[in-house]
Amino acid sequence: MSHANGTAPMIEVVDLTKTFGSFTAVDRISFTMGRGEIIGFLGPNGAGKTTTIKMIMGLLRISSGLVRVKGLDNRRHLPEIKRMVGYMSQKFSLYPLLTARQNVEFAAGIFRLPRSTVKVRLEELRGLIPAEMVNLKVEDIPPGIRQRVALFVCLLGDPEIILLDEPTSGVDPETRRRFWQEIYQLKKGGKTLMVTTHYLDEAEYADRILIINNGRLILEGEPGALRRAAGDASMEDLFRHAVGSS
Amino acid sequence: MTRINAVVRKEFHHILRDTRSLMIVFAMPVMMIVFYGYAISFDIKQIDAGVVDFSATEWSRDLARAFANNRYFRIHEPPPGGDPIAQAEKKLRSGEWKEYIYIPADFGDRLAAGRSAEVGLVVDGSDSNTANLVYQYSQQIVMQYMLSMKNLEELIQIRTHFYFNPEAKSYIFFIPGLIAILLLMVSALLTSISITREKESGSIDLLFISPLKSREIILGKTVPYIFVALIAGVFILLFARFWFHIPFRGNLLVLLFFSLIYIFCGLAFGILVSTLASSQRMAMLGALLATLLPSIMLSGFIFPIDSMPVILQFFARLVPATYFLRIIRGVVVKGAELNHFLIDGGILLGMSLVLILAATGRFVRLRRGVR
Repeated sequence: MSHANGTAPMIEVVDLTKTFGSFTAVDRISFTMGRGEIIGFLGPNGAGKTTTIKMIMGLLRISSGLVRVKGLDNRRHLPEIKRMVGYMSQKFSLYPLLTARQNVEFAAGIFRLPRSTVKVRLEELRGLIPAEMVNLKVEDIPPGIRQRVALFVCLLGDPEIILLDEPTSGVDPETRRRFWQEIYQLKKGGKTLMVTTHYLDEAEYADRILIINNGRLILEGEPGALRRAAGDASMEDLFRHAVGSS
Repeated sequence: MTRINAVVRKEFHHILRDTRSLMIVFAMPVMMIVFYGYAISFDIKQIDAGVVDFSATEWSRDLARAFANNRYFRIHEPPPGGDPIAQAEKKLRSGEWKEYIYIPADFGDRLAAGRSAEVGLVVDGSDSNTANLVYQYSQQIVMQYMLSMKNLEELIQIRTHFYFNPEAKSYIFFIPGLIAILLLMVSALLTSISITREKESGSIDLLFISPLKSREIILGKTVPYIFVALIAGVFILLFARFWFHIPFRGNLLVLLFFSLIYIFCGLAFGILVSTLASSQRMAMLGALLATLLPSIMLSGFIFPIDSMPVILQFFARLVPATYFLRIIRGVVVKGAELNHFLIDGGILLGMSLVLILAATGRFVRLRRGVR
């Protein structure tokens, strides 16, 4: 498999499987991510996207298969992997009762950032969101702004790989567009990103998409090439067809 | 009617699927009645008492033997060296003895001469119920001793002193005990929801994927509550002092020192519950039941531990309140000092470490995806 810059995979997933009793949530999926790539991870609700990400992050025990991050097996090298990977969860990324500033300070403490760096980061936060929201409880901040704070917090440890689980869920199209601009900036900075989404228009932003349904990887490739191969079909038709025939 | 039926059916489905609640409704009362039924007894057996015999005659030794041969008492001699009275009073203050029998030097000579003699019963009066029973049992033994020696009838006069709580006010004994129970309950409740809250909101994932070590998370979650619980403890203590006029005879710093260890133990227990429970509701219920009931029934708060069956005495030793109860009653009511409770404090510290290690171990398992 070719990668954006031809180097060894940043993430390598081989025959990854997760079962809960007799139910198979993720079924022998395999893929790789190259340095500087943006992977769009698509699938209907319950397809297994979050379960896959949680297994990569070591939040769920792998039933079978393996995950390697920069060549390190995540069952043996989780602490090292955690330092390389940033994760923005679908369900929860910030503490709602803390202010935006306090969330940043908490994350900075976890990553042992020096006081001077924290000061700089807080200045950056003031430039990123309206000043009056810096000291507002996160639960009182609008979802779009909250999303930006969450991404900012996710990046505090300067991870090489960033996994974003439904980052644009529940925000307006303009905020989504701006969010993707930030994702491109990160790619330019050399970061590798995986973004799960159920907004099909967002799939176009990715270098490569993976479509998962019922725990199985059913389609993989560069969005433009996949659409051309399907006779210039829209992304929506492509998705519907892939899911429908899986 | 059909609509009510629908609601009733739905509720039944909920009840039958919520096995934990069903356990609480059926198994818990049965377990409690069996377990605590044995604990509920005001009778006292094996009262630790001392004999200070200044007479050292056949008469005085017979009296000491009368106490020693009685099933209610375990008779000890004051530790050698120093003033025996001072040693005996130290034992009373530390709670090791409930009473000492003082036999004056002229006891034997006076009885031999057919004159009346005195014997002193110095009773730890901090617990007025126990003190009364100890006094009654002792009085009975002295009477029987007199009856057994026919020529002694009515020659021995008993002089009784109730130490620490001479007016036999029961609240002086119970309120410090209540403080011990409340402090454990509050501490455990504070931390019991700290991890379950994060489990429910999903924020636990942030901690799991962070570079934080599990022990750093557990300690980080415990430390802030030490201050909260300590402030609550001081507040309860001040309330007891000024509202109920509980005398404070000991050193406040000594009490705060042991309170700190005890609070840490309660918080560590709460954290352990938090790692085990699946929801905040279950965690709070678990922390409440596991701290409140054993503390009330087994710690010696109401029922003397010595009167419980051996198996319950074993369980009583697993309850942190058992140790702190002795400390707080000793310091507050009797003015006991730091060195009286080094073993109790050490046990509480050991329990805290075991609990915090167990909580960390459980957290590590959760973090590895073993739910």
